[in-house]
Amino acid sequence: MIRKSVLCTALALVMSLTTSCASNNAKDDQHIDEDRFETYNRAMFKFNYRFDKYVLRPVAEGYRSVTNEFTRERVNSAISNIREPISVGNHLLQGNIKQTGVGVARFGINSTLGLLGMFDVAEGWGLKKEETEFDVTLANWCVPDGPFIILPFMGPSTPRAAIGDVVDVFMNPVYWGTYNDANIRDKVMYSYAAIYAIALREQNLELLDDLERGSVDFYATMRSAYLQNRKSLGCHAKDDQSYDFDFGMDDEEQTFDEMED
Amino acid sequence: MKKYLFGIVATLMMWVAGSAQAEVDAKAAQKFVEDVTTQGIEQIINANVSQAEKDKRFEKLFNSALDLDFIGKFVLGRNWRSATPEQRKAFIKVYRELNIKTWSKRFDEFKGKSFTFVGTTPSSSKGQVYVDSTVDMGEGKPVTVKWRVRQEGSEYKIVDIVIENVSLAITARNEYSGFIKNNPGGVDALIKDLQNKVNQA
Repeated sequence: MIRKSVLCTALALVMSLTTSCASNNAKDDQHIDEDRFETYNRAMFKFNYRFDKYVLRPVAEGYRSVTNEFTRERVNSAISNIREPISVGNHLLQGNIKQTGVGVARFGINSTLGLLGMFDVAEGWGLKKEETEFDVTLANWCVPDGPFIILPFMGPSTPRAAIGDVVDVFMNPVYWGTYNDANIRDKVMYSYAAIYAIALREQNLELLDDLERGSVDFYATMRSAYLQNRKSLGCHAKDDQSYDFDFGMDDEEQTFDEMED
Repeated sequence: MKKYLFGIVATLMMWVAGSAQAEVDAKAAQKFVEDVTTQGIEQIINANVSQAEKDKRFEKLFNSALDLDFIGKFVLGRNWRSATPEQRKAFIKVYRELNIKTWSKRFDEFKGKSFTFVGTTPSSSKGQVYVDSTVDMGEGKPVTVKWRVRQEGSEYKIVDIVIENVSLAITARNEYSGFIKNNPGGVDALIKDLQNKVNQA
């Protein structure tokens, strides 16, 4: 019952976004660095950065120091397997029947023969993983992205991405597999979320360090990369090549004015 | 109304530019990028030489393959126009140093990986073309890497690298204009900060 009402709220939000954002969508596309909540976003970014510096990063480093690469690969593989049903559900919603079938087979094979997903046996049989999520489904349904927002603890997001994350939780077996007992479910979900966050952070230790080291404005770098990457999603992706800005220098004055106003 | 007219004119100009780019030799551009990546992998990543020698070779390859003067100008955006000749020179210099330092460090991550070249796509800018490639990361979908190549006469230079739809030039441009917007010191402060980054790296 609760599940249903949350889903309805999420859908209602999607609907209101669709109508309210549709009118100025064209303008947003040309302004990759549009960020109407910048003051709030920078403050929240700073908060997340501190949380990462003093909590998440040290824990991820600790995790790395007490495990070897083989172990971490098994953990990452198991997490990826737990998330497989999310891809299955969304492939179905996107009308990709073939990949839905591949995902079902992968989840069945890897959960059993692959020892709870610790080994990707199905890949060796030609059943290749193809991840997708509800955010991508919404993008394929031409739901606009909405403004850039930094969420507490979660980091860079947009209304569409956030709704996608919420809906994905319902497709996660950690959620529906424990649905009968709310007490157990809370424990399982929190443990899973913690392991997921630590494993993900460990995988990105070097990458984020490098990004930060070379950047004079880490927030602006991260925002730009995040928003550019999102342009590749969804029903407008094919004709929206935001990276193909006019790079000629003949009419440089115009180009500069156009891009930054 | 004026804005719409401007938009139409701009679109028309893009089209004209688009049709004019037939002059780019896409095949030769692709061969150029293939040569650069092969050189990088064979003579730097897989070479059995000291790190110092590797860094030296990387710097040489980087300077010959990338048009940093061109990229730097774009990256500074509208601030380029208001900058003095000294500022421009100092910016290009430090931007070049920072890129060489960051990339020579990250370069080793390509060990054991290779680029698969899948063709070219036209660019909206005159005399430029995208060379499309993918890198197999071991699991999941391969990563797409687009090389933006600019032709001048018979010479080719890389002017941008687009990884998974993220353009390095646009990212740097947004980063630097974000910095300048929030910093009263402007371009000078940016150059100083970049220099600190270089010294730390």
